[in-house]
Amino acid sequence: MIQKVLIANRGEIALRIIRTCHEMGLKTVAVFSTADRDSLHVRFADEAVCIGPPPGRDSYLRPDRIIAAAEVTGAQAIHPGYGFLAENADFSAICEDHDIKFIGPAPSTIRMMGDKSFAKNTMRNAGVPVVPGSDDVVKSGPIGKRVALETGFPVIIKASAGGGGRGMRIAWTEDEFESQYAVAKAEAESAFGNGDLYVEKFITGPRHIEIQVLGDGKGSVIHFGERECSIQRRHQKLIEESPSPVVDEALRAKMGAAAIAGAEAVNYEGAGTVEFLLDDQQNFYFMEMNTRIQVEHPVTEEVTDCDLVEYQIRVAMGESVKERDIPIEGHAIECRINAEDPFRNFSPSPGTVSTFHPSGGHGVRVDTHVYAGYQIPPYYDSMIAKLIAKGRTRDLAIRKMLRALDEFVIEGVKTTIPFHLQLLADEKFQAGSFDTGFLDTFELKPPEE
Amino acid sequence: MDLERLREIIQIVEETGISEVEIEQDGLRIVVRANPTGVSHQVVAAPVAAAPVSTSIESSSDSATTEQAAAEPAGTQVRAPIVGTFYRAASPDATPFVAVGDRINPGDVLCIIEAMKLMNEIEAEVSGTVTAVLVENASPIEFDQPLFIIEPS
Repeated sequence: MIQKVLIANRGEIALRIIRTCHEMGLKTVAVFSTADRDSLHVRFADEAVCIGPPPGRDSYLRPDRIIAAAEVTGAQAIHPGYGFLAENADFSAICEDHDIKFIGPAPSTIRMMGDKSFAKNTMRNAGVPVVPGSDDVVKSGPIGKRVALETGFPVIIKASAGGGGRGMRIAWTEDEFESQYAVAKAEAESAFGNGDLYVEKFITGPRHIEIQVLGDGKGSVIHFGERECSIQRRHQKLIEESPSPVVDEALRAKMGAAAIAGAEAVNYEGAGTVEFLLDDQQNFYFMEMNTRIQVEHPVTEEVTDCDLVEYQIRVAMGESVKERDIPIEGHAIECRINAEDPFRNFSPSPGTVSTFHPSGGHGVRVDTHVYAGYQIPPYYDSMIAKLIAKGRTRDLAIRKMLRALDEFVIEGVKTTIPFHLQLLADEKFQAGSFDTGFLDTFELKPPEE
Repeated sequence: MDLERLREIIQIVEETGISEVEIEQDGLRIVVRANPTGVSHQVVAAPVAAAPVSTSIESSSDSATTEQAAAEPAGTQVRAPIVGTFYRAASPDATPFVAVGDRINPGDVLCIIEAMKLMNEIEAEVSGTVTAVLVENASPIEFDQPLFIIEPS
């Protein structure tokens, strides 16, 4: 029986999990590195165990120390949060070996979904649309061209060992395929020492739309609608919202059904997110599945009036998920506030937060671990708060968010609040017309002196 | 208040171990506060009504710690390198590895920390005399928790 939960994480998500545990009458154990001794999650938990020096690899990423902490405190379950060991199949297995309930999917599920091509195949077999293209590396230009013709132009030629946008070339027509292939190969060889390429359909005007799912590991999965996460800078989400301005009820039903089919195919247990790319023709394609609670889960909670962390814990306790449609009401937006200077290329701004006065009022939610006097440790990510605004309509939610951003006072470090203010006021954003390339061309106006 | 003077003040705080210096001069108030982990150079400059030069220096930081130091025997602390359960002896009936007053050498086993069903022997890194045992047998301990005080010799 789960009566005490150890939270294997830090920062705002650790606090988030502790809050729900306390509401459910569960005892909580916080683990912390020496850099987080004065952290809020340590203060709010019933018990706290120091597990190592500041670097993640010596503390929050140490399964042995976390399990030892669970043993000495008698915790029956571990919630991994997001990041760190949340999607570490070995950690899920180690918990099993030590009779500690890992609040999340089984090790095999994590492993399957962590392997991108395995996940793609699993989805395809479950009838979920996937990005068409070569299943594997294409051995030559002519073979690549054949795949491209089958897939349909435009295609993107991607380095298998690639990343950071390098070793990628788009071929818009059959004529330019061979030359783009050659250039991509040369770039991949020079950048990664590996010229292996694969060919995929290039989704024009793609939007990142993800579906929140919950499974009980006994065959039952439900979905909570979508989140629109196209506002990204270098693949890092900055603003998320639910519902998406371009997803209507019919599309939501189709995408939800696809996400459920995919999760049921792996007998999914716990909360998870199925990510899709949506093109400008309302076609959607599976990208990947995240087998954890996500940073942006609050926007789903606000429009469905559900506590997703509570559901994670109840599923871990053995409860079944009742298959039903979850109604969506209103519109919620989240701004991730980071300790970064948006006017200096978002360079990190560590230091001590001298003043911290979060926004409040009707329709405003702040998830944060920061307080006045808090020293932001340089060892972890720079997110200091999540600001969520909910309104009856998208316009009202935007208005509320602008008001909330305006009154949020953070001094002592630079934050991305000025950036969010400009973004929320942008015409295209307000009209809901943007895709994942939006921030590439967005021009930040310099601060007023 | 020029930069040189400010640097001097920060240096003084660092070198003498005072916890805080507050200076009001020419309508400017400067506070320099030291951190346990080092001077934080947290300079708060707030304009105030012009006032005569006044300095107030607090030496409160050490009073609490000197009290503690008086109660605690002298020596270096041995801190836990892992998380687990602390045992003073190899088994419930055995004699403890060390007791207060024992002379120890590098490599001597001081205690066992049990974690994940494994018994980890914690060895001394200095030679000296055990002046304090800070944890009770069979207590849970966390990373960095002080376990023993050894007076090196």
